[in-house]
Amino acid sequence: MDNREPTAVAVQIRAQRDGQFVFVLDPSLPFQMILRYLEKRWEESNKFFRSAKIVIDLGLRPFRFDEILALRDLLKNKWHATITELRLGHRFDSFFEWASRQIGIPIHQIPIQEKEPEPVIIRQTCRSGTRVEAPQDCIVLGDVNPGAEVIAGRDIIVFGVLRGMAHAGAYGNTAAKIWALSIEPSQIRIADLVAIPPRQDKSSLQSKRYEVAEVRDGQIQVISF
Amino acid sequence: MPGKTIVITSGKGGVGKTTTVANLGTALAMRGLSVVMIDADIGLRNLDVVMGLENRIVYNVVDVIEGRCRLEQAMIRDRKINSLYLIPAAQTRDKDSVMPEAMKRLCDQLAENFDYVLIDCPAGIEQGFRNAIAGAQKALIVTTPEVSAIRDADRVIGLLEANMLKDIHLIINRVNQKMIKRGDMMSTEDICSLLSIPLIGIIPESEEVVISTNRGVPLVHDRKSQVAAAFKRIAGRLEGENIPIPLDNHEGSLLSKVKKIFGAG
Repeated sequence: MDNREPTAVAVQIRAQRDGQFVFVLDPSLPFQMILRYLEKRWEESNKFFRSAKIVIDLGLRPFRFDEILALRDLLKNKWHATITELRLGHRFDSFFEWASRQIGIPIHQIPIQEKEPEPVIIRQTCRSGTRVEAPQDCIVLGDVNPGAEVIAGRDIIVFGVLRGMAHAGAYGNTAAKIWALSIEPSQIRIADLVAIPPRQDKSSLQSKRYEVAEVRDGQIQVISF
Repeated sequence: MPGKTIVITSGKGGVGKTTTVANLGTALAMRGLSVVMIDADIGLRNLDVVMGLENRIVYNVVDVIEGRCRLEQAMIRDRKINSLYLIPAAQTRDKDSVMPEAMKRLCDQLAENFDYVLIDCPAGIEQGFRNAIAGAQKALIVTTPEVSAIRDADRVIGLLEANMLKDIHLIINRVNQKMIKRGDMMSTEDICSLLSIPLIGIIPESEEVVISTNRGVPLVHDRKSQVAAAFKRIAGRLEGENIPIPLDNHEGSLLSKVKKIFGAG
């Protein structure tokens, strides 16, 4: 048993607007120290918490059934206080462990999968002045003309000539790529990299099927296929 | 059947909208059609100067819309052609003195009695532009082979499409075939592929245009002028005649010509 005196604040106490108190238990301290800290607070506060309504916030502390019962009994018998709510932080595993022991069946938590946003499809040429923003991929069935901007969280695919500004991986994804039948842009960006293409002389006349812009060795490169 | 209302617009200024309206209007009227031209560039009127009708103005388009005169009183008959009329812009007002709904009513009213209503749109994409396109069923985009003009034209096409005006044709003005041959000017094919709207005519660059503008006589009256012939061809195409447009594919390699023959180019 740990006999250290609780010098640190083992339980942070906050008052809610509805008059209830929130007790946030320190995740690193042993449970005995928490109990002793509470007893000390009880004496020091001159029975301030008598008959209080208390929310127990476990925070990152693992859920332990016996601890909760001990806490409940202490508050109920000595303080005449009631626990109105138990808040579990992000440590659900210990709670599931206890629950599966209760029912005698193992419980597996299936993580909630966030649905991926659909790609944004533009079925026309993006003319000067248009700005397209897509959370994930963006597909343009047409050209992207000078003065138009296409911004995507991931890849940009242009079934036409890319002449305007394209920004792939706009939220910092350097693996994002820009695909187009021909890349002759005013500027391309991938994540936080910017590339201004060299003033080329009619390279578009060369026969190629498509071009891809991607990050290689820390800079944007355009590869023709 | 009501006539066609056509707005002539470009986005950028100085590419030849007013010259196009004057010459196209005259060319259509010379075919015996009744034509009225509206100068929608309120505050900066100049279609009347190009037509040589400046000293005949009594009332203008704002007077008509605000009910200070009858429509007929603001319509100025051309000096040479009886079926051609001009409604001038107000010089002392600004573009906000007209609303798009009023402009649309005016255009509809005129379309009842004329074969063609041509609207000369101001440069820019603000209120004046919105007024000018409000009553139009069809748009002609004028551009020159310069990247700045083409970019503005592209923007305007996007705005027209957003305003449900989808019948859009392209006129490329001030084309210099010698410069295209030398590779110093964007070819008409490049422009068409970028703007991706159907081409209705190419106007060659010519000093005659400046001379005729200053004289106040549209160039289409000149029988020998190539520019006049180009505008007359556009008038014919508007009337549904199938007149081929000569494209300038000078630098084309043998391969691209072969591709063209097989319809792949």
